[in-house]
Amino acid sequence: MSQTSDSGESSPASRGRRSRSPRAQEDGGDTAGDRLRQLSINEGEDRDRDHNRMIRIQYRKLISTVQQNREAMLNSKSNKLTEALEEANRLFDGVSRAREAALDAQFLVLASSIGKEKANELQLEMSAFDSAAFAEDLLTFMGINRTEVEETDDPEDIPGGFLPSDAWQTVGQEALKYLRRAPTFHYMMGSFKSEPPVPKQRIERQKKASRGKAERAMPAQLKKMESSHQEATEKEVERVLRILQTHFENDPNTPISFFDLVIDPNSFAHTMENIFHVSFLIKDGLAKIKLDEDGLPIIEPTKPTRGGEEDNRTGARNQVIVTLDQKEWKEIIEIFQITEAMITPLSQTTEDEMETE
Amino acid sequence: MSQRKRSKGLSSSQMTDGEEDCSPSQRDQPFQDQMNQKVSELVQFLLVKDQKKIPIRRADMLKTVGQKYKNYTEIVNRAGKTLQEVFGLQLMEIDTKLHTYILIDNLPRAEGEYLCKDKEKEKMGLLLVVLSFIFMKGNSVKDTALWEFLRLLRVHPGKPHKVFGDVRKLLMDEFARQKYLDVTPIPLTDPPEFKFQWGPRAEKETSKKDVLKFVAKIQGKDPTFWVSQNKEAEAEAAS
Repeated sequence: MSQTSDSGESSPASRGRRSRSPRAQEDGGDTAGDRLRQLSINEGEDRDRDHNRMIRIQYRKLISTVQQNREAMLNSKSNKLTEALEEANRLFDGVSRAREAALDAQFLVLASSIGKEKANELQLEMSAFDSAAFAEDLLTFMGINRTEVEETDDPEDIPGGFLPSDAWQTVGQEALKYLRRAPTFHYMMGSFKSEPPVPKQRIERQKKASRGKAERAMPAQLKKMESSHQEATEKEVERVLRILQTHFENDPNTPISFFDLVIDPNSFAHTMENIFHVSFLIKDGLAKIKLDEDGLPIIEPTKPTRGGEEDNRTGARNQVIVTLDQKEWKEIIEIFQITEAMITPLSQTTEDEMETE
Repeated sequence: MSQRKRSKGLSSSQMTDGEEDCSPSQRDQPFQDQMNQKVSELVQFLLVKDQKKIPIRRADMLKTVGQKYKNYTEIVNRAGKTLQEVFGLQLMEIDTKLHTYILIDNLPRAEGEYLCKDKEKEKMGLLLVVLSFIFMKGNSVKDTALWEFLRLLRVHPGKPHKVFGDVRKLLMDEFARQKYLDVTPIPLTDPPEFKFQWGPRAEKETSKKDVLKFVAKIQGKDPTFWVSQNKEAEAEAAS
């Protein structure tokens, strides 16, 4: 009470009152403020700025103290809320700008919310509603078995009784008598309950799955094509070798002209392909090319059983680059009188490819 | 429907507001048919929409009826009447600013078992207990106080309950959205604290008097035992 009278009597001379603040925590701030005030009365701006900052610091301190001690403030026996309000009143005397006033308003919001709660609690005490007793009676109503102890590892659980599983049903059944809740639909067969979300999920999954399949199918297809190409090359090389070997065995004494073998008079592209395949045979040492007495290239398969390794080595050491353009190809056909391909085109698809080329 | 017919229907509806039944002859039959159709659609819409117990927005109702119907109010009134007469449900506006509506059971409570899903029944049990606690504690409680009370009933907000699951979510999300509870954050609290009050749906579906009766029954006392609450409940019932 003494504080109230203090603030009442000193409000006209608020500045002077600051120096004899009863609160220890503000002493630092107050003496600083005093010192500043003493410095120079003419340096008004500087002094005001520091003064305002000091007020803001004090307001913030007050607000945080009140927030932290909320429970203590709520205690009906304590006067802490009144004290805090008085202090805010005292601080407000020094306020001259909106910025500080805003802090005052913030404090007021806090103080009034605490005040309201305090008022609420006062009302409770009058009404004498014992929530703990209500809870106990509710548990009894739910059919708690107090002799049986619920087995629980949880320290949070309050021991002392076992609740039947339909405990809340019992309360609910009673509660419905007090609620005018519009009944919700039931399905008499009970089977449509969880139906609606299911098709949605299914549709989503199907979409996802099909999308995934398509994505996966693409690279698979590509792999297939690659591998088939590789296989095709290998197969073709083997086929060429077989053709070469057959011709050689049919007539071992007549050398096979390289041009006779590779040139396809109907397709330049196929000719190129044949040369490409034959080059593998040479590289792998399965066939060898040499020049006959006329200086023309002849080809013959090597005999795999005898001296293969040595031949391989010599074959590997010689690298020959052959150029053959379309003009030369036509000349060769004419000169050597090649009428049909020794290596027949393999399949329809290759023919198609050749035609497009 | 032509402009002429509709405008004619409108003017007659204004003239005969509330007594449609005696004046069907004043309107042309196609108009009546279409009105009936729209009313039925709205009734069905409201019944289905009510399943989730989230208040129905007028905008959504308008969408169902169709924007072009200027006699929307009449359609809503007639739908309300149908709901009352056929289903014993009352269509109520619970928020005049947001224009949201709910349906409440308007028939006297029957004896015997209530047709209600078990899950729903249990939730209603918890709801009434929470509403009781709020009312008895002076119509507004802090979340901390409520959790403390529920803990006594073996309901812990922090961990899943075997009947209710996430209780905090049930109270602060489901019941709040259904407007059974009003949950408002208390300003300037850190960590944030909340204030629980009755929501508008709770006020329509039950009353302070009923809740007090429930508490009295559970505690085996007379409602007059709690003087101030009883006074408050009686005052509400009288108004």
